[in-house]
Amino acid sequence: MEQTIPQEIRDRLAAAGVRPDEVRHAVRSDLDADGRYGSQWALATDTALHLVDGERVDSHALAELGEMQAQALVTGGLLMTRPDGLGADASAPAAGAADGADLDRLLLRFTNSEAQRFETFARAVAALQKGERAQAAEAERERNCPRCGLRYPDQHRSVCPRCIDKRGLFLRVLGYLRPYRGWVALIAAAMVAAAGLRTVAPLLSGRVLFDDVLDQAGRFHGQLAELIAVLVGVHLLGVLAEVLHMRITARVSVSMIYDLKNEIFAALQRLSLGFFTRKQTGGLMVRVNHDSDNLNYFFIDGLPYFVVNMVQIVAIVSAMIALNWSLALLLLIPAPLAVLIIRRLVPRIWRLFGRQYRSLAILNGVVEDSLSGVRVVKAFGKEQEEIERFGPVNDEVYRAHRRTQQMLATLFPSVAFLTQLGGLVVWAAGGWQVVSGNLTFGVLMSFVGFVALLYEPLRFMTKVVEWWSAAMNSAQRIFEILDSVPEVAERADPVPLPAMRGTVELRGVSFGYEPNKPVLHEIDLHVAAGETVGLVGRTGAGKSTLINLITRLYDTGSGQVLIDGVDVRDLRTADLRRQVGIILQDPYLFAGSVAGNIAYGRPDASRAQVVAAARAAFAHDFITKLPNGYDTVIGSRGHGLSGGERQRLSIARAVLLDPRILILDEATSSVDSTTEEMIQQALERLIHGRTTIAIAHRLSTLRMADRLVVVEEGRLVEQGTHDELMERGGVYRRLVRKQHDALAVIGIGARR
Amino acid sequence: MSEAKPGANGHGDAAEAAEHTAGHTAEHTAEVRMLAPAALRFAATEGGFLALTVTGGEKSEHYPRINAFRTFPLSDADRYLSLRDAGGKEIGILESLADLRSDQAALLRQELERRYFTPVIERVRSLKEEFGYSYWLVETDAGQRRFTVQSGKNNVTVVGERRLLIVDVDGNRFFVDDYHRLDRNMLKTVETLL
Repeated sequence: MEQTIPQEIRDRLAAAGVRPDEVRHAVRSDLDADGRYGSQWALATDTALHLVDGERVDSHALAELGEMQAQALVTGGLLMTRPDGLGADASAPAAGAADGADLDRLLLRFTNSEAQRFETFARAVAALQKGERAQAAEAERERNCPRCGLRYPDQHRSVCPRCIDKRGLFLRVLGYLRPYRGWVALIAAAMVAAAGLRTVAPLLSGRVLFDDVLDQAGRFHGQLAELIAVLVGVHLLGVLAEVLHMRITARVSVSMIYDLKNEIFAALQRLSLGFFTRKQTGGLMVRVNHDSDNLNYFFIDGLPYFVVNMVQIVAIVSAMIALNWSLALLLLIPAPLAVLIIRRLVPRIWRLFGRQYRSLAILNGVVEDSLSGVRVVKAFGKEQEEIERFGPVNDEVYRAHRRTQQMLATLFPSVAFLTQLGGLVVWAAGGWQVVSGNLTFGVLMSFVGFVALLYEPLRFMTKVVEWWSAAMNSAQRIFEILDSVPEVAERADPVPLPAMRGTVELRGVSFGYEPNKPVLHEIDLHVAAGETVGLVGRTGAGKSTLINLITRLYDTGSGQVLIDGVDVRDLRTADLRRQVGIILQDPYLFAGSVAGNIAYGRPDASRAQVVAAARAAFAHDFITKLPNGYDTVIGSRGHGLSGGERQRLSIARAVLLDPRILILDEATSSVDSTTEEMIQQALERLIHGRTTIAIAHRLSTLRMADRLVVVEEGRLVEQGTHDELMERGGVYRRLVRKQHDALAVIGIGARR
Repeated sequence: MSEAKPGANGHGDAAEAAEHTAGHTAEHTAEVRMLAPAALRFAATEGGFLALTVTGGEKSEHYPRINAFRTFPLSDADRYLSLRDAGGKEIGILESLADLRSDQAALLRQELERRYFTPVIERVRSLKEEFGYSYWLVETDAGQRRFTVQSGKNNVTVVGERRLLIVDVDGNRFFVDDYHRLDRNMLKTVETLL
């Protein structure tokens, strides 16, 4: 969906002789021509570009403009045109070239908030310029909450924190309780019983004790032992009910959270890689744990106590009103006041704690920084400076601590006094009524008991809103993971390809992880079945990205990736994963046995097959020498194994999978030369007969490849064999030269 | 970890080493080319960008479009400016904007401010923190703006003595010159965001 063009802009266009329905693409900038916040429009018809800034309309024929581009700056970007035929990085300081029409032309500026829209716009207009009808514009996400207009804080989530349907969420969370219906009913019964019994106690120890038992005229005068027995019984029953309710609650809520965590983890596994790179994986783990803990607290400490306390408050208030409504009212008047005071004080305490926490975090940072860098500190003789750096930070911690403690030191006694004051009001007002004969002493004692009982539930109620909010937010995030649809999803009716030949083709592939920052531009590449292609280029040239697209960890922005002529997006994912094997630079080993790791891709492999694969990967010998052989348990990330050993295990894993297409991200990590040789041989054996696409660093691999493809700044710049490319004298030759020189500098002859 | 010389494993690190040295020629030699202010002539291009002619020496160099970068955008925005050609190759470093003639300085400053567009917040009209994000409505030297900042990710930081750098969810940046001059309630909220 494109941005809707407001009437005002349509009128301007009409005035300039452009029919608004001719407009193919439109985009609004949030900056005016002077670089202040404002509004400008860029609108493209099939043949022209119109820039509307206030009253002014600038029109340019598309054919006379260079190629439309959106260029990223630090905090915003430019819509500009670049003379045709020059790449994005055309740099030649063309001596003598006039600063004229053959130069970059600035059209307008925008902030980062509009970057994605401009990127889409520029791409669409560039397509128009090439005479192509642009592909249907990508559906654009709504970026503001339709209900309250608040901007979605996270642009990847159309979730408005203010308007999320908390009730609906709550009901959905409650849905997880359904399997435990019987238990929940029991809990409710136990809670109500406990609350009721607690309320009865002051009644017995107050009114009944003083007015009925101790009083000469009482109904049960003198039956003290019986009363005590009843009181003990009531307390015992109360405790019993409470124990029952807490035990069942613990059981039910923990199983519920357990179900939820299982579901979350399964959902996480389904998601595409993009989801994980966008939300840092670490953060994600914390989030999943934190959020489910939040829900856990809510269900163990929150919801049940909320119900209990509600029941309790209602029971106590009605008991008080029944006993003596005027005294009850008198007592209830200050209650809202107390709630108000607490609500005002709490944020202040929070702030103080926050400050204390932050200063402490900084202090810890300084300490850790300094101690883990102790070698550098000593080497540079900076001990004194480090001590001086510590001083002011420690000072801040001291100040924050002192303020918090002083605040608490004042607060606690004050709050205690306030509650005592509540008791005093009862004594005063009630006592006066007793003296004037309107109230019995027993009822007064019951009231004293009730007031004490009321304090805790009231305090709880002040926190409940925040808890509810936090828990529902957590629930929302959890459900979001549960509900999110993987971006890289298998089609509904995927094309099965159980036996690949192994041709790989890229057609006009462009891609960027973030809008406005393209990594690959218009890549065309054909790899025949069985061919070995080496990808060469500097770090950051886009080699790994290319591989991510072929293996469909991400989907292309535009263009197609085809395997055996089938778009990978149409392929059955299981077929793709089984027949495309990857050996990564830093092979990830899972916690488990050596054999288990080798068989990761084919858990049904026999022992013989595992050993054969290990042999092929030159891993068998070192595995056999381990005291526990193939049963050796490796810690996660492969602790206890050397880099070369881990690498060979990952090669064995690929050998066992026996993929048709092999993707190889060649490691540059330093291993000794014997190991190096072995890895090399293992790889050569593995590559044989398969389509292989390798990110190559080693000269030996480069020479082994049937063809080398040189990637520079996201474009394919050269192709050919090692010898051809050397002869050509282009980018590749320069790279090899540099490598040669570098080796010469450090005193090692490059093997040729 | 072996303590051996880098690349001692033979050819393994070679391409990697090549990658480092294959950088721009300016990085090839450790020498930084400091540009004499008098030798620089900036000109606005018809296309709306900045061109540069460096005179002096054997021949003058002409760059039809340059980009200017701040090497210390936070601590020293107008000094040590890296001038680069359209391909990103560094032409040289200008030590201080103040050394240029005022009309030349204005041209360069315009280019810099375009790249590092960072409005200065003059007044915070409303600031609300909830659900892990803060919502700002501010008056800046570039006009009124509403934006959202994610909390707890170092998106609000103190740079220098009392200057605040704020990065919103889209990556836009804002400065507050002296945050102690914010009104009391704003200051309280801001402090929780630091």
